Amino acid sequence: MPEVGSDRRMHDAEERVVGTVPFVLDVRVDGMAHAKAVRSPFPHARIRSVRTDDALAVPGVLLVLTGADLDADPEVNPYYGSPRPDQPALAIGKARYAGEPVAVVVAETAAAAAAAAPLVEVDYEELPHVVDANEAARPGAPVVHDAWPDNGCGSWRVRHGDPDAALASADRVYTGVYHSPSASHVPMEPMVCIADWTGGGLEVWSATQAPHAVREALEKMFAVPPGGVRVRTLNVGGGYGAKTQVKIEPLVACAARAAGRPVRMELARDEVFLTAAKHAATVELTTGVRDDGTIVARRVKVNYNAGAYALSSPIASGQGLTRANGPYTIPNVAIESVATYTNTVPSCPFRGAMTSQLAFAYESQLDDIAADLGMDPLELRRKNLLRDGEVYPTGEVMHDLHYDELLDDLERAIDWGGPPEPAPPGKARGKGIAIMLKNTLTPTRSEARLRLVPDGRVHLDSSTVELGQGSHPTLLQLTADHLGISADRLVRGFPDTAHTPYDTTTSSSRSTHAMGTALERAAADLKRRLRALAADHWGVPAEEVEVADGHVAHPGTGERLPWEGLLAATGTGEVVGEGVFAPDFGLTLLEDPHDVRGRVTVHWHQGGAAAEVEVDLETGRVEVLRMHANCYAGRVVSPLRVRQQNQGCAVFGLGPTLFEELHYQDGTLTNPNLSDYMIPSILDVPAVITSSALEAGDESAELHGVGEMALPAVAPAVANALFAATGTRIDRLPLTPERVLRALGEHDPVKEETG
Amino acid sequence: MTAPVVREPGSTREACALLAADPWGTKVVSGGTALVLMMRQGLVAPQSLVALWRIPGLAGITRAGDVLRIGATTTLAEVAASPLVRSVAPSLAHACSVVGNPRIRNVATLGGNLAEADYASDPPAALASLGARCHATGPDGTREIPVRDLVTGFYETVLDHAELITHVDVPIAGPGRRATYLKYRTRSSEDRPCVGVAARLDADERGRVRELDVVVAAVAPTLHRVPAALDAAAGRAVDDALAGEVARSYAEAVEPLEDARGSAWYRRRMVEVLVRRAVQRFTAPEEVVRSA
Repeated sequence: MPEVGSDRRMHDAEERVVGTVPFVLDVRVDGMAHAKAVRSPFPHARIRSVRTDDALAVPGVLLVLTGADLDADPEVNPYYGSPRPDQPALAIGKARYAGEPVAVVVAETAAAAAAAAPLVEVDYEELPHVVDANEAARPGAPVVHDAWPDNGCGSWRVRHGDPDAALASADRVYTGVYHSPSASHVPMEPMVCIADWTGGGLEVWSATQAPHAVREALEKMFAVPPGGVRVRTLNVGGGYGAKTQVKIEPLVACAARAAGRPVRMELARDEVFLTAAKHAATVELTTGVRDDGTIVARRVKVNYNAGAYALSSPIASGQGLTRANGPYTIPNVAIESVATYTNTVPSCPFRGAMTSQLAFAYESQLDDIAADLGMDPLELRRKNLLRDGEVYPTGEVMHDLHYDELLDDLERAIDWGGPPEPAPPGKARGKGIAIMLKNTLTPTRSEARLRLVPDGRVHLDSSTVELGQGSHPTLLQLTADHLGISADRLVRGFPDTAHTPYDTTTSSSRSTHAMGTALERAAADLKRRLRALAADHWGVPAEEVEVADGHVAHPGTGERLPWEGLLAATGTGEVVGEGVFAPDFGLTLLEDPHDVRGRVTVHWHQGGAAAEVEVDLETGRVEVLRMHANCYAGRVVSPLRVRQQNQGCAVFGLGPTLFEELHYQDGTLTNPNLSDYMIPSILDVPAVITSSALEAGDESAELHGVGEMALPAVAPAVANALFAATGTRIDRLPLTPERVLRALGEHDPVKEETG
Repeated sequence: MTAPVVREPGSTREACALLAADPWGTKVVSGGTALVLMMRQGLVAPQSLVALWRIPGLAGITRAGDVLRIGATTTLAEVAASPLVRSVAPSLAHACSVVGNPRIRNVATLGGNLAEADYASDPPAALASLGARCHATGPDGTREIPVRDLVTGFYETVLDHAELITHVDVPIAGPGRRATYLKYRTRSSEDRPCVGVAARLDADERGRVRELDVVVAAVAPTLHRVPAALDAAAGRAVDDALAGEVARSYAEAVEPLEDARGSAWYRRRMVEVLVRRAVQRFTAPEEVVRSA
């Protein structure tokens, strides 16, 4: 019985529930010391001097390392970051955001390190700072990095047709500016890392989404040859993008090198907030339509707030560019996407990366257009949908698009044609829908290895990280089918760069497709090698050997052996199959970031959401009564997990939609804790929450990642439902009760009801 | 931050002596949900903690005549689930059931909740509206403090550093008593209140107001109460007009603070809406205790 298509439970489901699965948070190494960062209280300040005497006097403190120490060390390149190495492990010369590590204390105990950290005296000279990306992009704004005096951290453009002429001749032109604030990923497990140089090379444990990216960065920092750094991870307690790329590992590796001992660093919750955040974004959107609803032109300008350091923003802003058009056929388009440095927490991808900010803009505006034209929002979408054979602004002729089915599904699920349930007095109800389009990281590289060992089991070596998303059972199911054996015969450990081959990252909803394809190829390779081994053993042509059901067989001679029998008979230790998925095209391989032309993704992610809300007209509070989330899932490995991912998107998305927002005051983050920054709890889940996965009919269809597909549609679906209920359009997230109440007052002042 | 020494006295007398001996370096800990958060954020850094968990007789819910007595170290979950509290003081049970989340309520204690004096908290308003009094003991003896008068400012109470709350007495009324607690949140369901309104009505046989009390939490450093508006309600029929008048008085009198849960402008608006809704609950024949 095939594994794919069945809902195989995670092998460690019980252990997850009772809390016994291993995390890096649980790892301890003999002789390890503990590190605590000293963080800048100022958003932008020159570091005049650092006095460490008092901190060093605390019993148990081993050393205090500063940015100046790293700068003076000829054997360390303290700057990391790909593609732009602008971030020092500790601030050198100046601090660029409030919360940036400027020194690190290493002590025998975590308590001693924490006690000593406030005693490190740093003499700062405050500099003018900038928090808002639009201000930072203006001439004369404070400069965050001298090397990039315009604060530019990514700049991309695409032009298609003649948008100026088309807008000039359009029957109607709509312009809006849409704001999404920064938010925090809030993974349950904080960033945690242990670095150990004592064995000759550098050994690292880290709760990371990208172990090989961490390995490469550390090898570069310390000029170690490839393979000189070993990075291991275990189950990772949630990522949502926060643990992509490189985070605290360089700092911990520097501390361990200075200490000559293993060093462990576990971030406190406020430090997690200060390490990575979502890109705040402003989207200026102009759309020209004909009176019949045909979209003829679109101009988009998006400015992503990169924060103080680049991380992936130079490329992520390009990913935003490729998604900004939305899932519509528009013949004349101009898009400009930039990322801008500011003195805030560095931004990195946040589930629904770069896309949520855009979908909130284009899907909100589309409902405004529908209202103005007197059209049904669903019909307006159908009229303009991007379909197979149509040309995207990048010049790609699109295929494998399924927005018609997605819209049909949303229509059914939310009973679009039916009126909302009657609202109680003082409340209003409405329904909204939204869809989104997203590319996946391309180019990209996933390698996989399958090792048949003498006991007949097959070891699956893959660096895909289990974040709780279920990639582990998914990859086992896929591999079992490709090999034609039961998944019970597969063995898989955790990512370990010394043993599990290269993989770019576990993010961008890429693992099922990219690693799944690499494993398919590895399985074919393993079978080919088994065939060759058997052929050699039996003295028959390889093409006559059959590999099935865990056996090799030669029908002509009647020879038949189980795989482990073949190994025993031939004295073979193990048979290894290898597979690589590495598309040789994509965004970063295009010639000109200011004239983006060509294929930017191996396939397009497609998803949507529908919501029914009830608005309290006296308080402005929006309650989501019903939510439906869907996606195109291609060939589905586990229908249950796909639906759960969609539901996860719906719940995760409600936070930034309704209340999640990082607040800055005088350049300092004021709510870096889970009391002042709220995330949805189980009681915030709508009473009715449903989801569906549109499966491809045929078995040759592509596998699709599904981790983020519905998420970017959640906020606009809710905003559109609010609009349907009240006629009030809010162009700024989150849709807080106060914001809604003020907007209701402007739209149609709430009567003072005194009973 | 060095980990503080934890002392575990066996009596309130011993606990008070420990507190009196080191007025700057010690803090009382009961459930720890508030104190540990403050320690983690570096807001307080006590050298030693005086834990109440080994002191006998501080936890428990009993009834003596027309008084409901709740020990200081009774958890909020225990108060919320107590059949006795639910029967004689349902608004208090409800207020305790909507604090934070189950992890918090299972360890946070009623005495700790009062002594912390967090402006954005649910139980104090409910207790105050019911006329509850807390009993404190200290080096100079014991005293009774109306819950209404306990808090004097942000995280400040009338309690002396070496004084401990031992229990809270809640008067139990006869027929004609209606009470409710309305929690209004602007963010997640685990949030503190943006506005919390506790209301109590003691009505006469004709249903007219004998005594009305309305206490609003989370809008100012201390509990918000407008005695003149409550006095003016005496003898009136309980109807929408009364609810509206009381609500307007409360909204006019409040000097609202602002925080991440709402601006001063918004809070004033919500005081009016929520006070009105709370009092309006008494116009319906059956009391429905639920959150906003």
